[in-house]
Amino acid sequence: MSTTTLSKGQALAFAAPAFIAILPFLAACVYILRFSLSAEQGVIEGFSIRAYQDLMTPFFGRSVWLTLKLAFIATVVVMFMAVPLAFLLTSLRGSFARRLLTVTILLPLILNLLVQAYGWILLLGPSGALNTVLKSLGLIERPLFLLFNETGVLLGLIQTSLPLAVFPIVSAVRGISNEHLEVASSLGASNWRILRDVSLPLLRPALVGAASIVFAFNASAFAIPLLLGGRRVQMMGVAIRDMISPLFNWSGAAAAGMILILLTLFVLVVSAWLVRVTTVKTKG
Amino acid sequence: MRVGLLPTDRGGSYRFVIVLLAILGILVSALPVVVVTIMSFSAAETSGFPPDSYSLRWYGEVARLFTNEDSSSAQSVVDSMVTSLVVALIVMVVATGVCIPLAYALARGQRRVREGMELLFTLPLVFPLVMLGIAFLLIAESLALELGIWRIVIPHIALVLPFVLRNCLSAMNGISVELEEAAISLGASPMRAIWDVVIPLMKAGILAGLIFALIISFNEFTITFFMYTIDVSTLPIWMYSRTVSSLDPSTLALSVFIIAADVLLIVLVDKLIAGKGNLF
Repeated sequence: MSTTTLSKGQALAFAAPAFIAILPFLAACVYILRFSLSAEQGVIEGFSIRAYQDLMTPFFGRSVWLTLKLAFIATVVVMFMAVPLAFLLTSLRGSFARRLLTVTILLPLILNLLVQAYGWILLLGPSGALNTVLKSLGLIERPLFLLFNETGVLLGLIQTSLPLAVFPIVSAVRGISNEHLEVASSLGASNWRILRDVSLPLLRPALVGAASIVFAFNASAFAIPLLLGGRRVQMMGVAIRDMISPLFNWSGAAAAGMILILLTLFVLVVSAWLVRVTTVKTKG
Repeated sequence: MRVGLLPTDRGGSYRFVIVLLAILGILVSALPVVVVTIMSFSAAETSGFPPDSYSLRWYGEVARLFTNEDSSSAQSVVDSMVTSLVVALIVMVVATGVCIPLAYALARGQRRVREGMELLFTLPLVFPLVMLGIAFLLIAESLALELGIWRIVIPHIALVLPFVLRNCLSAMNGISVELEEAAISLGASPMRAIWDVVIPLMKAGILAGLIFALIISFNEFTITFFMYTIDVSTLPIWMYSRTVSSLDPSTLALSVFIIAADVLLIVLVDKLIAGKGNLF
């Protein structure tokens, strides 16, 4: 018997600290579920689905619709930029250029969201960089209103979620064997044809996975709509906050949160299923 | 001839479109940060772009913020900065400390268990941040817990676990059991073999995990937005409170320091895990 295989007890002992660390998170999940079923708005008491019934208002419906719409548009735009970026990143030769591009793309995901919101405000504001440039080119006469509406939020969402798509696609692109491309090319296929018939089908699992993560991330965005949308763009994250902060409707916020969680989980599960189905198909 | 996904010689419309979209992506990623950096050197009070003249006055302003105790604001920038750093350091040490043994157990354990565990520890990544913030707030408030700085540390640990575990796991992947067996057959105890053979080999992954935890916690806004109190608040919250009414150029100068620190740390992570794993 090998001495380095862990016994069950040892394995548990090794895993225990991490379990303790993640326990508050699991407790929080359970707590939210329980609170959403509470009969009282401010405390957990009794069981009722009133919190969910109270959400069936046109206001919350609009918020859900807006969330889905913005998350969907942002995901489509992100995918159109992420694939070319992944191609570019994997074809760069110099390590400095590669590192520079990696940092440029990754930074928005990690950097303090306040800093990025400042950047967008300075870029898109009435006297901001974009309006100044457009005006000096004579394209517009009066400044465009890009801030505190859906455009600003959309740009912020695209920027912060782009890295989530680029890096999984990069690792999938690295996995494509060059032979496939060479064969297609030597048989006379054009670049567009290779992209459509060879590269994209090979990348499909990674593309579906990346798109679903980007969608889930954007649907649950909070800071970006809060900072760039003002009061006018009520995505679900912001709407949920408003239930707590001025209204103290905690069970309502918990119920709305459960809907948001189910929504993102649904997207992730469906896409995982899609990936499985499509990979089976390409193999067979 | 090199065929690649980005043809270098005969590109035509394909190459043009791919490069154009990539450049668009780079612009969207980089422009906000670039504009913040440029504006921080502005000499003017207003946020009009481009600035009429350049100066370092806002950097002087930041230096003053850090040296003078500002009695007008409830919480000074120094306090928030210190809290941010303390939180990030605790999060970094605890998260990495618990992930190293777990990664070891998963790498040496059964495949099925490993997959389930990886899924469990990825959950905080897909869980909406707002809901994490609200859930932790509900627990802390309704149980009336007096947690002090741990109000923020505990949720942050949950948030960084997926990143740290992934780095530790990919570091474990390259380490074969034979190395440990060799150490044991030479008379080392199993624990000694882990400590003297496995841990040093995991070093790059562990360091990458530590840095990831540090940057994520230091930059985190959403959860902290729900959990902060007057006594315990972090730098992003301080920046938010400064800019609710209008954009203050001295916070832009402060932002430039944060950007520089983040870039430095990301480059460091990238160097550490270059060629071995992926950032996610």
